[in-house]
Formats: sequence, C-alpha cells, structure tokens
Amino acid sequence: MNHDFFVEMESFQFTKTGQAACGDDIQMEVLKNENRYLAVLSDGLGSGVKAHVLANMTTTMALRFLRSNMDMLQSIETIMDSLPVCEVRKISYATFSMVDIRLGGITRIVEMGNPQYIQLRGDEEVPPISHKTVTSSHWPDRQVECYEIKLELGDRLIICSDGVTQSGLGEGSAYKFGWCRSGELAFAQEAIRQKADISSYALARTISYKALNISKNVCKDDISCLVIYLRTPRVMRVLTGPPYYKENDAEFAAQASLGEEHTLVCGGTTANIIERAVQKKVQIDLASLKAGASLPPAGRIPGVALVTEGILTLTRVCRALEDHEPLDTLPAPARAIIDMMMQHDRIEFIVGTKVNEAHQDPTLPQDLELRRGMIKRISTALNSLYRKETKVNYY
Amino acid sequence: MKKLQLEICCGTSCFMLGADKLLNIENDMPTELRGKVEIRALPCLELCNDSKLGGAPYVKLNGEIIEKATCEKIFDRMRELLDASPL
Ligand code: FES
Repeated sequence: MNHDFFVEMESFQFTKTGQAACGDDIQMEVLKNENRYLAVLSDGLGSGVKAHVLANMTTTMALRFLRSNMDMLQSIETIMDSLPVCEVRKISYATFSMVDIRLGGITRIVEMGNPQYIQLRGDEEVPPISHKTVTSSHWPDRQVECYEIKLELGDRLIICSDGVTQSGLGEGSAYKFGWCRSGELAFAQEAIRQKADISSYALARTISYKALNISKNVCKDDISCLVIYLRTPRVMRVLTGPPYYKENDAEFAAQASLGEEHTLVCGGTTANIIERAVQKKVQIDLASLKAGASLPPAGRIPGVALVTEGILTLTRVCRALEDHEPLDTLPAPARAIIDMMMQHDRIEFIVGTKVNEAHQDPTLPQDLELRRGMIKRISTALNSLYRKETKVNYY
Repeated sequence: MKKLQLEICCGTSCFMLGADKLLNIENDMPTELRGKVEIRALPCLELCNDSKLGGAPYVKLNGEIIEKATCEKIFDRMRELLDASPL
C-alpha cells in the first residue's frame, strides 16, 4: 500500500425522532491487499426497525457483491429482487449508494434513488461526469446511476440519505424544497474554507447537525452522512508509562514531538518525564476539577500534549471504544482522548514497560490491569472497529 | 506574604484512594480560609512509590507533604500556618 495515502471513511447518523432504530444503514470495509475501500449507504423505506432491517439487508448484500467484484447490474438486480416491494408504489423498499475506491485507479459510484454524491477537491466541487444510467429489465421504472471518477489526494466524497437534503422541507420560505444538495454542498464548501483539513469524522458530524438544525432540531427523517477523505495520514502519538530503564527517559520523551493536537500523554509519572524534558509545566484547569468525577481531570502541556491520568482513563477509553459508547455520555478526559483518536488515521503507541509498584498495592480498591495489555486491546479495537492504522513500540 | 500553595495529586493511586474528594476543596473551604490559598492539581507527586510515607492521597501545602489527605486535614494545617504567619 502506498503509505502516503490514507482513506478516511467516517459517518454520522441521527435517528428519526421517536424511533427506536435508524432506518438508514452504512457499512464500510477496507480490502488492504487489493488497495480497495468500500462503502455503502442505504435508506430503508419508511422508518424505525423495519426500515432498519431493510437498509441493513441492502448494505450487507451490496458490500458482499462489491467485495466479490460481481457485475454491477447483476448485483443491483439481485438486491432489488430480494427486497420486498411496496404494494402501493411498486418499488423496492430501499434506496442505496455504493462506493468502490481503488487507490491509484478508478472509483466507481452507483446510486439508486439516493441523493447524488458530492465530490470536492479542496473547496471546489468536481461535478459528477462520465455518467451512465442503466435500467434493469426486471425493474423498468427504477434507474440506476453509475459513475466512474478519479480521486486525487485531498479529495472528498460526501454521500447522504435524503434525510439530509430534504431537511427543512416545508419549514417556510427559506427551505421550501428542503436544504437540497446545493445547500449541503455550499455548507460543506464553507466548512472546508474554515478548516482546510477538516476530517471526515468532523465533517460528517457538522453536516448532520446542520441538517438537524434546519429541521428545527426535530429529526423528521433519518439523517445519515458518509464522508470519505483521501489524505496524507494524520499521525497521533500516545505516550504512556515510564520506560523500563531510566536511561531511556530522554529518548522516550523525544517522541512527544508532534504538537499538542497530535500528542497524548497518559499517566502521572509519564507526564512528569515529559515535563522535565520540555521544561514546561502541566496545566490542569481548576474549573475542570469536580469532586466525585469518575476520572482524574485532564490537563495539557501547552504546545506539547494533552495530558491525562494513565490506567483508569485508558481502561475507560478501551471500554468505550469496544462498546461504541456515544461520546457525550463519557467522562471528559475519555471523551477528549477518543475525539483526538477519531481525528487521526495512524495512531502510534509509545509504551514504557516499567510496572508502577504503587499500583500493586493491595489496599487499592480495584485491580489495575497492566498497561501493556490495555494498550493492546485499545490498538486492536481502533484497528478492527475504526479502520485506524496502529503501531505499538515498547520502551 | 504570599498565598499558601496547595498542590493536589491527581495520579492514579491518589485519585483512587480519595483525591477525587479533594477536587472541590476550593468550594468547600470555610470562609476564613477563602482567598488565602492558591490551588494546583498535578499529575503525580511521585510520592506514591515511597513506602516510608503514610499513604495516598498526597497533597503538598507550601511544599510540605500531607499524607492520607482529607479536606479537614488540609484546612487544619492551613489554619496552623496562617496563625504562625498571617497573610
Ligand atoms: S499518584 Fe499521587 S503521588 Fe503518585
């Protein structure tokens, strides 16, 4: 794989107000050996659990067909044939968009009934071209749009459900026809102008929040936004645990060189080592101190790193990652860490292996897991559940 | 004279053994002590591994270690220091 490319695929969703399940579904997959990146977004007709099952059936099938390089028209027919058909409208019960990116090659996009994709190069739109409409003999009134495009480093693709483009529909003069693709496009362009390297993770969120906001914060239809961004990998480094040999402290501390936005220091002793090396003090915001908080407060070494406590915080982060816990339910330090991780593509763990004797104290109210094992679990979760590249170095 | 300097350890051991209850100390402070101390939170005072000491949580008040710190213990020591040399 060309290591100067990273394909960041992230999505965000809001479920229609009052429904237990989101009627849209998004699935993504990386085929490392083939240099391929696959993503599918489907919108099940209606909302709630039934729509969710339909959407999920669709994404699962579509992803399987993409993976196995099955002929596009044939895949689509199979999907449409297997979905139940709406009695009234005589159309199948889900719409979808499929994306198949081949790094260094052609990217194929196929849409049936979903809003048209958006491609951005910087803040400029690359309008959809080389476009082919196919109709299946089984489904003469359903049209399938096929595109073959070229993605370059720095390009973004935005794919969404109609809950985004139709948000605000009927909300009075400003959005008589809804936000529309044009409104979404202009908003995304502005977001990129504000922050040229905005991550897919952040962009998918702001677009979804804006759509929700346009419909007066009542989600009238499931909102789903998928953003794909080809970028030079953003590297984050996590330093945790004092090195086994004290002589290695300086070399260890020298790894804290990527800047505050990209460096995380976990653990009190570790923070002290870095403090000494960079000759700057850790600052913990007094306002963030709260009695009874479940985790010790986070701080920062200005310009150098975000600083948190070690093993309790990492344990909490690990659980949240493994269980996909929503960010806003987490204690602040864990939230800050996960937020930082999600903004990066490649995460390097620099792990000191010295065991803290104080943690072996039997009077502590809880058994503390060893740092090494915890980092291994976090790294595995980031890799397999969040498509991040990870690396662990021991000191 | 300078305000008293209070450093609270927020490291793992101290936090688990009660430093979490010290974090609100500024608000819990009796009126006569208010405004007489500057509080800082620190990542680890590196006292937790010292078996000669009495146990976490540790704080330092004007550089002097208070073991098994509680708000009351800290207030008492603040009063003593302030009596000896009022601000
Ligand atoms: S954790 Fe408080 S002194 Fe180390």
